[in-house]
Order: sequence, then C-alpha cells, then structure tokens
Amino acid sequence: MRSPDPLRRMLPLLEVRWSRAVRAVALGTLALGSSVALAAVSAWLIARASQMPPVLQLSVAVVSVRAFGIGRGVFRYLERLASHDVALRGMAALRANLYDALTRGPVTGVVALRRGDLLARVGADVDAVGDVVVRALVPTGVAAVLGLGSVALVGAFLPVAGLALLGCLLLAGVLAPCLAARSAADVERRSADARAEVTARSLELLEDGQQLRVAGRLDQRLAGLRAADARLAAATDDGARSGALAAAVGTGAQLLAVVCSLLLGIPATLAGTLPPVELAVVVLTPLAVFEATQALPAAAVQLRRSREAARRIVELLPSCELSGSAPRPRGRGPDTGAVLELRSVAAGWDGTTAVAGVDLDLRPGCVVALAGPSGVGKTTLLLTTAGLLPPVAGTVTGDDALFVAEDGHLFGTTVLENLRLARADVTPDEACAALADVGLDGWLATLPDGLDTLLGTGAADVSGGERRRLLVARALLSPARVLLVDEPAEHLDAATADALVRTLAEHARTTGRAVVVASHRLAPLDVADEVLLLGRDDAVAHAGDTPATVVARGTHADLLGSEQAYAWASSQELTPTP
Amino acid sequence: MKPLDPRLLRRARAARAYVVLTALLGAAAAGLVVVQAFAIAHALGPVVISTSDGVTVPFEPVWRWVGVLAGVLVARAGVAWAQERFAQRAAPRVVGELREQVVAHAVLLGPRASGAGDPAAVATLATRGLDDLEPYLVRYLPQLLLTALVTPVLVLVVLGVDWVSAVVLAATIPLVPLFMWLVGVMTAGTSERRLRTIERLGAQVLDLLAGLPTLRAFGRETGPGARVRALGEASRRATMGTLRVAFLSGMVLELLTTLSVAVVAVGVGLRLVHGGMGLVPAIAVLVLAPEVYLPLRRVGAEFHASTDGLAAAERAFAVLETPVPHGCEGARGPLEGTPVGHEPAHSEVPALAGSTLVLDGVTVRAGERGVEAPSGLSARIPLGTGRPGGGRVVALRGPSGAGKSTAALVLLGLLHPDSGRVLLEPAPAELSDAGDLGGSRSSDSSLDLAAVDPASWWSHVTWVPQRPSLPPGTVRDVVTDGREVPDDALAAAAATTGLDTVVAGLPDGWDTRTGLGGVGLSVGQRQRVALTAALLTGAERPLVVLDEPTAHLDARGEQVVLDTVRAWRDAGRTVVVVAHRASLLALADQVVDVEAREVTHAFA
Repeated sequence: MRSPDPLRRMLPLLEVRWSRAVRAVALGTLALGSSVALAAVSAWLIARASQMPPVLQLSVAVVSVRAFGIGRGVFRYLERLASHDVALRGMAALRANLYDALTRGPVTGVVALRRGDLLARVGADVDAVGDVVVRALVPTGVAAVLGLGSVALVGAFLPVAGLALLGCLLLAGVLAPCLAARSAADVERRSADARAEVTARSLELLEDGQQLRVAGRLDQRLAGLRAADARLAAATDDGARSGALAAAVGTGAQLLAVVCSLLLGIPATLAGTLPPVELAVVVLTPLAVFEATQALPAAAVQLRRSREAARRIVELLPSCELSGSAPRPRGRGPDTGAVLELRSVAAGWDGTTAVAGVDLDLRPGCVVALAGPSGVGKTTLLLTTAGLLPPVAGTVTGDDALFVAEDGHLFGTTVLENLRLARADVTPDEACAALADVGLDGWLATLPDGLDTLLGTGAADVSGGERRRLLVARALLSPARVLLVDEPAEHLDAATADALVRTLAEHARTTGRAVVVASHRLAPLDVADEVLLLGRDDAVAHAGDTPATVVARGTHADLLGSEQAYAWASSQELTPTP
Repeated sequence: MKPLDPRLLRRARAARAYVVLTALLGAAAAGLVVVQAFAIAHALGPVVISTSDGVTVPFEPVWRWVGVLAGVLVARAGVAWAQERFAQRAAPRVVGELREQVVAHAVLLGPRASGAGDPAAVATLATRGLDDLEPYLVRYLPQLLLTALVTPVLVLVVLGVDWVSAVVLAATIPLVPLFMWLVGVMTAGTSERRLRTIERLGAQVLDLLAGLPTLRAFGRETGPGARVRALGEASRRATMGTLRVAFLSGMVLELLTTLSVAVVAVGVGLRLVHGGMGLVPAIAVLVLAPEVYLPLRRVGAEFHASTDGLAAAERAFAVLETPVPHGCEGARGPLEGTPVGHEPAHSEVPALAGSTLVLDGVTVRAGERGVEAPSGLSARIPLGTGRPGGGRVVALRGPSGAGKSTAALVLLGLLHPDSGRVLLEPAPAELSDAGDLGGSRSSDSSLDLAAVDPASWWSHVTWVPQRPSLPPGTVRDVVTDGREVPDDALAAAAATTGLDTVVAGLPDGWDTRTGLGGVGLSVGQRQRVALTAALLTGAERPLVVLDEPTAHLDARGEQVVLDTVRAWRDAGRTVVVVAHRASLLALADQVVDVEAREVTHAFA
C-alpha cells in the first residue's frame, strides 16, 4: 500500500481556517450560480414571451436576468479574493512551520540538503501546495454544489432529465478530470528520463560549451541534445493521449446533456406533462452548468502536482519530527582542563563511518590542524566536534564550538549585521578590527557605505576569497570558546590563505580560545600545536569502505620528519614568491 | 508584448504548423457552434410554439434537428480531441527547437557573456524557463485564435438573425479590451511597486532558509522563526493588495460579457412579446450570445499562461539576438539561421610548429568591478616544434583575481581582449627550431588571432580546463575520443596520469561506462581521465593550455599534473599552465607575470 497522502499530512501545517474556505466556495457557487440562473431565467423569459403575455408578467424575469448578469462578475471577484487569501495564509503558515521544523530537527537534515534543493522546496513547492486551494479545492467544491443544485432545478421540472444531466455532469466532472490526471501522470512518468537527459545535456553544453568548441565536439553534442529533445517530445506525445480524450469528453458531455433533455423533454411536452416554457428551461439550462466542470481537469492535474510537491516537502520533515538531537553533555573535562574533549570519536553520516578512533583535547589557546586528502572526512569530523552531527561512537564533551563552514552563508543585509550574527552586540569598531585581522581592511575601504553596505543579491558582490575571509572574521567575533574552521584556504591564493591560517592561530593564542583548522594545504600548518593526519590504508581502491583514522599526529616539524608522504606533499606546495 | 510574437513563428518550425492547424480547427469549431445554435433552436422552438398555441406542426424536422445536434456533439468532441492532441504534440517540439537554438547561441557568446547571455540565466531558461511556453501554446494560443475567428463569425451570424442583438454584442466587444486596458493603466504603478515588495519579502524568507545551516552553527536559529512568519504575513497582505487591483480587470471582463448576454436576452424577450421576432431565431441568438464571449473570457482566464510564456519567449529571443562577439562565430550550430557576420576574411591557421604566440598589451575588463585583469599583458610564447626537446612549459603567475585564467581564454581565442591583441608569428625559415626569442621581426607576416577562423585555430590546440567535461561512453572511448590508439601508448599515458590505478579499481576496467558528464567518477578521477585524453591528442596540436586544478587536489593528484606536463614538454609541445601552486612554477621554462589593475577612478 502507498503511504498516506502527503497532501493530507501537509494540511495541519497550512493552518487553514475552514470558515474562510467555506466562504470562498460559497462565493464561487454564487458566481457560477448567477450564470446558471441567468441561462434558466432567460430561457423561461423567451419561451414565456413567445406566448405574448402582458409585459408586466415578465418584469420580474427581466429584472432578475439583469441582476444575475451583474452578480456573476461581482461574486467571482469576491470569490477569487477569498480563495487567494486562504491560499496565501496557508503558504505563509506552511513556510513558517517548515522553518520551525527545520530548526528543531537534527542539523543533518539541513546540512545534507543541497542549497538549491532547499530553496526549490520551500519556494516553488510551498507555492504548489498552496495552489491546491485556489486551483483544485475551491473549483471542486463549487462544481459539486452547483452541479447538484442544477440537477435539482432541472429535476424539479422533469426528474428523468435531471438524472440525465447528473450523468453528463459525472462524465465531465469525474471521468474527464480522471483522464486528465492520468495523462499528466503518464506524461511525467514516460518523459522523466528524457527530461532529465535534456536537462543534463543542456547544462553540459552551457557549462562546458567552450571546451566542446575548442575540442571540435560542439556540433555532435548539439545533435545529442536535439535527439534527446525529440525523445522527450515523443514521450510527452504518448502520455498525452488520455488528455485529448479528456478534452473530448468534457466538450461532448455538455452537448449530450442538451440532446438528452430534448429527447426526454419533447415527448413529455407533447404528452402534456411538461409545460412548453419549462421545456425551454430544461433544454437551455445545461448549456450554462458545464462551465463549472470545465475547470475540473485542470484541478485534477493541480491536485496531482500539489501532492508531488507535498511529498517532496514531507521528505524534509520525518527526520525533523523526531525532535532535536539531544544536547551534548556540558561541562569541562575535569582532569585535563580542556574546553572540549573527544574520546574515541567516530564520525559519519546516516550510519556510515567516515572517520574513527579520534581522541583530542582542546585546551584554551591551542591550535590543532586536521590534514589529509580531500574526501577523507575532515568536514564530517568537524561537524561532529561542533555537535552538529551526533557521533557514531565515542563522546564529545565540553563547551559549545562554532563550526565555520566552507560555504557559510552571507545574508542579504549589511556587512555589520552579517558580522553581528556571531554576537548581537558587535560594535562597528570591533567589526572593523576583525575585518582588518583577516586582511579585509582594504576591501572595506572600497565599499560605498562601509560597514552599512548591503551584501547579497543585487548588492555588492563578494569574490570567493573575500567571502572566505568575511566568514572567518565573523567567526573571530563569536563568543564561542572553540572555533572549527573548514578549509580556510579554499578560493584563496597560497599567500593569502597561509596568512589567514596564521591570523587564526594568533587569535587563538591571544584570546585563549581553541582553534581547529581543517586544511588540505600543509604549508601553513607549522603554526599548529598539533597536526592530526587523517588517512586510510588504501586510499585509491576501496575508498569509503573503511573509515579513515589518525595515521599520525605531532607538530608540523615532527610529521615532516617522520611521515614521508607528508613531507613530500608539503614540499610540493612551497609558497610562491610574492 | 504582442499576444503572438512573430519571432516565435520565425524561429520554431513546429510553431508555424501548429498555428495553422489550430486556426483550421478554430474555424471548424466556429462553424459547429453556429450549427449547434440553430439545431437547438429548430428542435426546441416549434415544440414550444405548437404546444402553446395548440397548433400541430410536423415533428419530422424536429427529430431531424435533434439528429443534427447529435452529429455536432460528435464533431465538436472530435475537434476538441484534435486540438488537445496537436497542442500536446507541438508544444514540446517548439520548446525543444528554441532550447537548442538558445543553448547553441549561448555557447557562441563565449565564456564571459553577460546580460541575457549570462550562463546562469541561460541555464535556468534552457532547463526550466522555456517550459512556461507549454501552457501558453497548449491553452492560451488556441483561445486567442478562437477569439480572432469565432467571435467575428458569430457576430455576423447574429447580425443575419437579429440586428439589434448584433449591435449590442458588437458594441460591447471593443469595450472589453478598452476597460481592461484602462484598469491596467490605472493600476500599473501600484502593482509594480507591490510586486517588488513581494519579491523582496520572498527573497528575505529564502535568504533566511538558505542561511539556516549557518544560523544553526551560531545557535541563532530560533529568533528568525518569528521573522519568517511575520515576513509571510507581510507578503500576504502585499499580495492581496496587488490581487485586489489585478482581479479588477477580470471583474470588468466578466461583468461586461455577462451583462451584455443579459441585455441581449431581455431585448430578445421584449421583442418576442411585441411580435417583432420569432421564437426560433430568438433561441438561436440566446444560445449564440454567450458563445461570442466564451473564447474572450478564456483568453482572460489564461492571461498568466500568456504572460509567463511570452516572457520566456522574450528571454529566449534576448539571448538569440545578443550579437556574437567579433571573431567568435566559428563552429556555429547547424540550426543557426542566417550566417550573419561570418566574415570571409577569416583565414586558416598555417602549420604552427616553431612559430611564436605574441601577447601584445592584452587587457580584459572584469565585469563591473572596475578592474582590468589582466592589464597590459605582453609576452612571447614560442610554440613547440613537435619534436622531442622542442617543448616548453610557460607558467602564468599572479595572485588570485589577476586574470590568469582570463589570459588563457584569450590565448584560446574564446575571449577577445578589450584592448591589445594576440599575434601568431610564423616560424622564421632561416632560423633553427631552437628559436630566437629576442628576434625583432616585422609583424607583416604575423597573423592576428582575431582574424583567424576559430575552428582552424582550435584544431591546433588542446585545452584542459579546471573542470574538464567528459563525453558519455566507456573510459577507453572517452580517453581515445574514438580514435585507434595502440594499447601500449594508452598504457603509457595512463601510467603517467595515474589513470591506470583508477581503471584497475573500476568494475569493467577500460570498458566501464561513465554517464553524461562522467557520473560515477570523482573529481580527481575525472581529472586523470581528461589529462590522459589530452596526452593522447596528437603532436599536430603544438599548444596545450592547462588550467591547474586548485580545489580538492591533494599532493598525489598534484604529482600527476606535474608528470603530465613533463610528458607534454618531452613530446615537443608548448604547455601554457595557469599555475596556482609553487610546484608548477618550479617546472616552468618561462614564467609570465599576470597583473590586474584598478581602473575605477580613471573614469571619474
């Protein structure tokens, strides 16, 4: 069996107030009801007029026809406002609830998610879930109420014609939407592979197009994209068959209702059981009723789309609903005087172990470096040390530690506010000092508004190197006793990178904090009190199968003497002459 | 924006056929609606009259008209089926045609295209943005054509039956766009301001979410929760303000169309009472009146599909109409229409062995940052002779942001310098292969790279960028590029680059398939594949340009790069390396310093 409908799981998070939803459906029914009533009353008016009664007998009908003519537009306007209000409230609530869930849950959910994915889910997917109100729930409610009302109206004149109308409404309002939804599902299923291929090929061409030109392979790749697009078109075409059938059923059902009314109504009128004026109403009313069902195929497709979006959002949630990871046991290591202790710690993701058997005491003012090839698990170990990942084995005890990610986020606010994230009461002077520490004083001087310059989209652009240094400056300002800095050298040239590591070390010694630096560049590690070299026995063949361990530890000088590979790697990266 | 952009028809063949077919189906639909109205009128009218007056009319024709109506039912269902079918068939084809053109053109715009050709924007457009055209083509365009066809036909038919009603209908139709335009004009300013507010609020929420890992790292994640809620509430209020205004035009449309149907119905009814009109034409007019407005109303309902679709098309045309920088037209896509600007002046590159590549004051402005990187770069780079011992390693050195990679792009002819030039000096016939670097030679015999057919230049160059692209296929095919390569040569190259250990660990060895873009290989492994492939390119490519990988390269990976560069030099090729590390500089025979320069104040 399938798991419960994700859309239903999402409903409580939308915090929908049902009175508002009912109001939207009621207004929608009044709007379309006006147009059905317009058709019914005009039919009655014309048929009755053809019998040439005194004009006064028609005056009520004349007035109501005009009133219905106005009512439709006005009610429709009110309905659209009401349903959009429900939807927008839902989206805002869902976004806020999602945010809360993400902050409560273990950080793995957030860290593991690629940034683009998270934004897509919270942006477009939340919108798609909200759309279900405007595009699916309200139209369906309106169609149901209005359809039954019309069946009752026609049935009051000629019960069997009412039944025929009901049948035709079911064709247009249930069969056609089912076909449309199936078509959408078919298209998606059949074209998923082709679509992924088209996307991959397009991106490859755009990202690597210049290489392909130089290598003379551009035309060949463009032909590949064309072929993939042709496959996508063919797959879409196959899947869309039932969609065309839905369109035919929807159109046909309306006329079928008219034909049925004629076939049933004319004999009844001839037999004298149905007055001729009522025959006109029975025949002409169905023409207006089907406007309500016309929106339903699209509603069914939307329902499906919203459910898919809800499913993707739910994927974010299960881990979050387990409520947060237990806070780390606090308190200083009693014997060692360390601010943070790692005892036989194994670190990893989702049951796998990347690094095992790490023991480490971080004392105030000490600088420790993690070295080792990329992918060995340096970042994972830092995350575990920071308490952002639960250790797979072993214990981490001590003060809170601040993890400074390689791809830390700069918020779309001022430079100063970004720095104040570390500590709310950072003064402008402190901020300037921190920026100067990381060598950004020159950059600060070029900013139009200094510390009040806006960063982020549409504002001052920050290069990769400036960004790294800003993140480090922010870390320096935080009150955390332990800083865990991941790859400070990335995106920086060697001289700047080495200077940044030295700045961190000096900072640790003058302020009495502990600093751990993960780096694949070894040259600046001579400032560290201790270097932990992580590695695996066989790094090439079975990478990932066995957890990495600390293969050697000591000062930079020790390791240069004792570890051949370390010495060799270090010799390869002499600082370039300035 | 035009509701149907003629450029769409010009650029996409599938769109032309689709529009013609849709117009034909629209004409058929118009005819069927007319027949339907008269069939209902002729079936219903006589029955009402006869039973009211007690006069018997022949019922044979009544049943015949019911039969006609059944026929219309089948035909209209058929037309609806065909329309949907063709729409679903044409839309992905149109999107595909545009996608290929956009991608092909964006590639020709070069590595530093900005504006419409900005790679990130084009990537979004090509992968998702163009899909907005599908609802436009499937839903909006047919209704638009129906409005153009059905509405006038039906008004003419009504005119033939009852001219008063026709006047009412004809008078209201122009009012619809007029009022919608008026509403639009009156509200445009407010909507745009509000839309900007909404976008800003949305961006703030996304910013908070994107920064969630960072907020958590700082332990500051709980405060912003309330902020997300407040931003959502503010965004809702702003959006509702926009919608209150935006939906006004919809209300005008509904009001005008429904009210005029009501006016027609009342008018027809009053004329019936006074005997000015028969019941059959009255019913026909009553059935036809809403049909006149139906396509127009649906056009209004699909307005969003139209704006989104047209905006996507507009973005695509903006890319396609961005002129290709001078001299970069080589290797244009096969679909590219007219060969505009394909100067015949472009000459073939002569044999390069032993000639010299001269950079003369090459300067490239870096975006809007007021920086020239490189600035005034001059150097003479002798090209390899193709014989052992005739090779050379030239390192481009400079701090990050100095323009080393940019200089490499200029050398490759992918980027044109904002000032300065790149010349090819032919090998001096009288001089030996050893080359006289200081030789003062007239530049008459030199060839400006800008005047060279790029494809011809590229046939002499091997380029290994930081993130090499790998075609799909087996590792062997990828490395050999489909050529016959002796096993020992392959093995030797693989040993140099360390690919042999990678291959040994792969499930099918050399025959392991790698997906599009080399899925399944790590960055380092891909690097080795690319280096091996570049090693195996022939000596007919005397120039190798290598952008040294910086990220995620450990000491072992670095050694591979050094060994490969040495192998190239030994084979008599010139290797221009963008050096980020000391190890490569130590290996270089010639070091070219690349410098950037601030020019912000030069314009003040």
